[in-house]
Amino acid sequence: MKKVSISFTLNGDTVSAEVPPTWTLLKTLREAFELTGAKEGCGVGECGACTVIVDGQTVNACIYPVPEIDGRHVTTIEGLADKEGNLDPLQTAFLENNGVQCGFCTSGMIMSARSLLDDNSSPNEDEIRTAISGNICRCTGYVQIVESIDIAAKKA
Amino acid sequence: MIDYEYLKPASLDEVFDLMKKHGSKAELVAGGTDVMVFIKQGNHSPEVLISLRGLTDLCYIQKNSAYHIGALATHRMLEQSQLVKEELTALQQGSSQVGSIQVRNMGTLGGNICNAAPSADTAAPLLVLDAVAVLQSPEGQRRVPIEEFFIGPSETVKKNDEVLVEIEIPSEMGRFKTAYCKHARRQAMTLPIIGVSVGILLEKDVIADARIALTVAAPTPIRVRQAEDFLKGKPFEEGVLKEAGEIASSPECCMPRDSLRCEGWYREEMVRILIPRVAMAAVEE
Amino acid sequence: MAEYQYIGKSIPRTHETDKVTGRAIYIDDLKLPGMLYGKILYSSYAHARIKRIDTTRAKKLPGVRAVLTGFDIPDVRVGFIKDQTVLKRDVVRQFRDEVAAVAATSPEIAREALDLIEVEYEELPGLFDPFEAMQEGAPLVHELDARGRPLRTNILPLPWKFSAGDIEEGRRQSAYTVKDRVATTWVNQCCMGTSGCVADFDANNNLILYNQTNVIFGAKQRITDYFSKIGLKGKKIRVKNVVVGGSFGTKLDTDIYEFICLQLALKTKKPVKILFTREEEFKALPPRQPAIFNIEQGCDKEGRLTFRHAEAVLDNGAYTSWGVTTPSVMMTPMSSLYRVPNVFFKAVCVYTNNIYCQAMRGYGTPQATFAVETSMDRLAEEAGFDPAEFRMINRNKAGDITPMKLKITSCGLQECIEAVKEKLQWDEKKGQQKDRGVGMASLIHVAGGARVYKSDGHGIRIKVDEDGSVDVISGGTDQGQGSFTVLAQIIAESMGFTPDDVSFTIGDTSLGLWDAGTHASRHTFVAGNACILAAEKVRRQILEMSAELMPRIIQFGLKRRSRKDKDFQTPDLDLSLLSDPENLDIKKRMVYLKSDPDNPHYQVDVTQVLRQGLHVGTGESKTVMAEVFYDPPTQMLDREFKGNYSMTYAFGTTGAEVEVDRGTGQVKILKLVAAHDVGQSINPTLIKGQIYGAAYTGVGYALTEEIKVQKGKVMNPNFRDYQILTARDRIPVEAVLVEKGDEDGPYGAKGIGEPGLVPTAPAIANAIYDAIGVRINELPITPERVLDAIKAKEGDEAC
Repeated sequence: MKKVSISFTLNGDTVSAEVPPTWTLLKTLREAFELTGAKEGCGVGECGACTVIVDGQTVNACIYPVPEIDGRHVTTIEGLADKEGNLDPLQTAFLENNGVQCGFCTSGMIMSARSLLDDNSSPNEDEIRTAISGNICRCTGYVQIVESIDIAAKKA
Repeated sequence: MIDYEYLKPASLDEVFDLMKKHGSKAELVAGGTDVMVFIKQGNHSPEVLISLRGLTDLCYIQKNSAYHIGALATHRMLEQSQLVKEELTALQQGSSQVGSIQVRNMGTLGGNICNAAPSADTAAPLLVLDAVAVLQSPEGQRRVPIEEFFIGPSETVKKNDEVLVEIEIPSEMGRFKTAYCKHARRQAMTLPIIGVSVGILLEKDVIADARIALTVAAPTPIRVRQAEDFLKGKPFEEGVLKEAGEIASSPECCMPRDSLRCEGWYREEMVRILIPRVAMAAVEE
Repeated sequence: MAEYQYIGKSIPRTHETDKVTGRAIYIDDLKLPGMLYGKILYSSYAHARIKRIDTTRAKKLPGVRAVLTGFDIPDVRVGFIKDQTVLKRDVVRQFRDEVAAVAATSPEIAREALDLIEVEYEELPGLFDPFEAMQEGAPLVHELDARGRPLRTNILPLPWKFSAGDIEEGRRQSAYTVKDRVATTWVNQCCMGTSGCVADFDANNNLILYNQTNVIFGAKQRITDYFSKIGLKGKKIRVKNVVVGGSFGTKLDTDIYEFICLQLALKTKKPVKILFTREEEFKALPPRQPAIFNIEQGCDKEGRLTFRHAEAVLDNGAYTSWGVTTPSVMMTPMSSLYRVPNVFFKAVCVYTNNIYCQAMRGYGTPQATFAVETSMDRLAEEAGFDPAEFRMINRNKAGDITPMKLKITSCGLQECIEAVKEKLQWDEKKGQQKDRGVGMASLIHVAGGARVYKSDGHGIRIKVDEDGSVDVISGGTDQGQGSFTVLAQIIAESMGFTPDDVSFTIGDTSLGLWDAGTHASRHTFVAGNACILAAEKVRRQILEMSAELMPRIIQFGLKRRSRKDKDFQTPDLDLSLLSDPENLDIKKRMVYLKSDPDNPHYQVDVTQVLRQGLHVGTGESKTVMAEVFYDPPTQMLDREFKGNYSMTYAFGTTGAEVEVDRGTGQVKILKLVAAHDVGQSINPTLIKGQIYGAAYTGVGYALTEEIKVQKGKVMNPNFRDYQILTARDRIPVEAVLVEKGDEDGPYGAKGIGEPGLVPTAPAIANAIYDAIGVRINELPITPERVLDAIKAKEGDEAC
């Protein structure tokens, strides 16, 4: 298969790779860049475990055709902490308020929450719930995830 | 094995050239939220994907003598547009219930329509809003009322050399009060069991004009003209709306099927129950 | 109550920072050098004879390293009653039957190779209804048993029958009786991380299996057994968990894909990973066991239960995993939820060509509790009691010994019922609202281990290094519940250290001591008790060391201080007090004198003691370490399924307030109160997380979730059509913790992993009845079913 060249900004760094055009953004992140934080929970955009932020908007990386990523800005869970390793307030809040259990949905969940807080620094509960309604979690019943996001918003 | 070439034309002319060159081996892809899934599941296996994402000039929502929505406007744009929310309410409600935010950030109105799922969340609102699909080919443009656009599940009148470029909605439809109800088992990331959209044009308390559209009630999204005609000239009151629901749910108007997601009798019942409710919601908005 | 440093405190899950930074390695993320990817070809029919399998084309595909069918590997039987082989070569009995497997250099190539395998089938008639399958003369799903003896029936030879007291006598004492049929269906556990493993053999065919199991030693035993039958007897087996993306019961058994993965790795001499797609997770992983109950109960005029008689039919599917053992656990609520003197329960498991089942959170109790608690509501109504009052009359109490011989040592059921009543404003709302209603249901579940294996023990190893770091090796596992945090709190509390000092290594059979498994809501209880005992041992060692060293350390310190500071007044200390370890204790890493705890001069940082006490010199150096194996003094159930098989039992009550839309049949949950007798919360935030999550899954069980199976085929193998709730499906859930302590629990704690789910569905069903006067006897309670029932009732009333 003829590969395509992609060059984009990944967590603040300019990166490039040669990948098959049939790869999704998720596969590219996991295989070409060894960033395995984004997970494949369903592979067809129905669970949100693969959520990353592209040009300020969340997408399901599992159905995002990678040739489209050329020239764009991608943020993944690995890019949330700062370069010194200080956690994003959301990451801290998830740990402190049991917003994480098995953790498989967590990367995507936090990215959806990050995107929400970037657009709306003081969301109400409905807005939080809507923002993460594309991210399925089986462990928590969402209660403490919603609390974690609320607390992170208030602390920021 | 999934294997295709992914082409990224930057203009419509390029798109037409590529479509001509690759013919039936090629498939158009916009947001990819349907096409990529079909490919992954093995239901589609195009040799060439022609991406429309480069056509950034088709990504607009405008109002002048009519409402114009570029085919590449995303669901999220429609969801967040104040204009759409206020004047084309049902469409805003439909768009805001497609998939998840992630899907709405990627998926486009044009894609939703061209995919022609009997359950498409934007279809019933567009029917209610008398939308017109603007199709372009190298030979020029043609305009197809959305009601004639769908001809079967996943089938439309769009020809192989055509690209859906715009959805146009007549400006007078902005005077209608419209609403859409997605009836589903859960509140997000789901397909409707039944979709009901109603548009009401009130003059004083009389229904001057009405639109009723349904999804998942037939192989394509449909309008229910008998019920619309019944409403015209009648007072806007519960009994009248219920009667419209009875008419719309009759076998002459809709023939919902039993499916995995729901039994036909229940869908029919929901048409009856929801039409008056959606009409009320439209006017109360 | 004792003043605790860490018990009862909501300590953050900082042990799991990797999970919020994307660094945690799940099975999806594990990649070994040279690793191949395995894929499985499943049957195209629910029941068919395999006439021919041709793998020629698949083998030729570039990148394919192995293609296996049942003819390539030993035809060895596996499973709970050894009723299936790893790859099927004669007959397929369900759609998920594994017919062939491929290992290739990429998952894509492996998948493509599957399409190149040609299998010719001769379709056979299928059995999809357990009642049909029970009929005499029904075609047989299996013609031979594990030993090759002919079978005459589809009914499995399992002894699920429980009897206590005298049902007939109970009937005679009854003033009121009710009888009903209720049904529950298949639901999927829906772990967000799908199933998978990596098998890696060394040159001597010793195995490391990277796994996600809850039961590392159980997995090892099953593989050992399998190895002994395929010529690998004596080979070393190490089961090693990665971070687990949820379990909910799916990781109790060793599934067929794991044996296939072993075979592919053996064949290719490379590490092989099998990772399920979501579709496979729905189609090829055993879900929760469905059950249909006929249940009859009676009570006397005072409302006291007189008898409970229940018979269940379980569609077993084509083979057996843990699903068929759920009746043994159903016996707990059947016999012991509320005081009922006369009990009969029988369950029949029937082979069909449907999917087979395994464990899921609650393990049979959600099904049985749905039957018991909806029946309780009916009986309350029949006898003219308020359902809450009726439950209070019959509630379990501490000191009870139930018909199953369960010893109820602590019981907060009364408090749970009262909490639900108060939170729901029960007395004002019950029966008072139009289209709104309240309902409740309770549960009993094991909460102090569950002796389902001969050993219900948990082994733990603790060592303390000179820097004061505490390394713990546990034979347990974590699937997300937060054991690292909870056990670290317990150890820190017991040792006088801090939770941050404690690190865990878990889920590795080579390092850990035996553990019966992180199942049956037993981990905090059993591992917690083991932790306390081990922590006590190391604390004792440190105190003995302190008694030897502290006088010297303190003297030295005083001297040095007075040398440096001329004005320093050397305090008058009796250092001889420090020479007896009994006089000492540790708190926040400081060794102190118990009789003068606030005197800083009698305190020494524990690392000072450790540094001087551990590395002493030739022949004198020491380690601080302990190994403890805690096996609770419980009983195996006897042949009548009686015995005290857990140290303690959890009780809880869920209350629901619902609103029913009479037009659409939709049920909205206005409030859900989950009150649970947790003994003592170790970490309230984490406990609530267990309750909230379980309650949500319970709401799904009640209202939205079902695997749709048509003629043996799973029709909705995706999250689009299998609808688990999203965050927008807001369930206002409140968790109430009833903390009365349990004498045998670690710091008084009881297990809480499963209980939150158990009473949710019947509470909702009962609330729906209160709202609209119709009973839905079948799960899930879909809008269609509600509307259908409303219409039927309206029709009846019109007649």
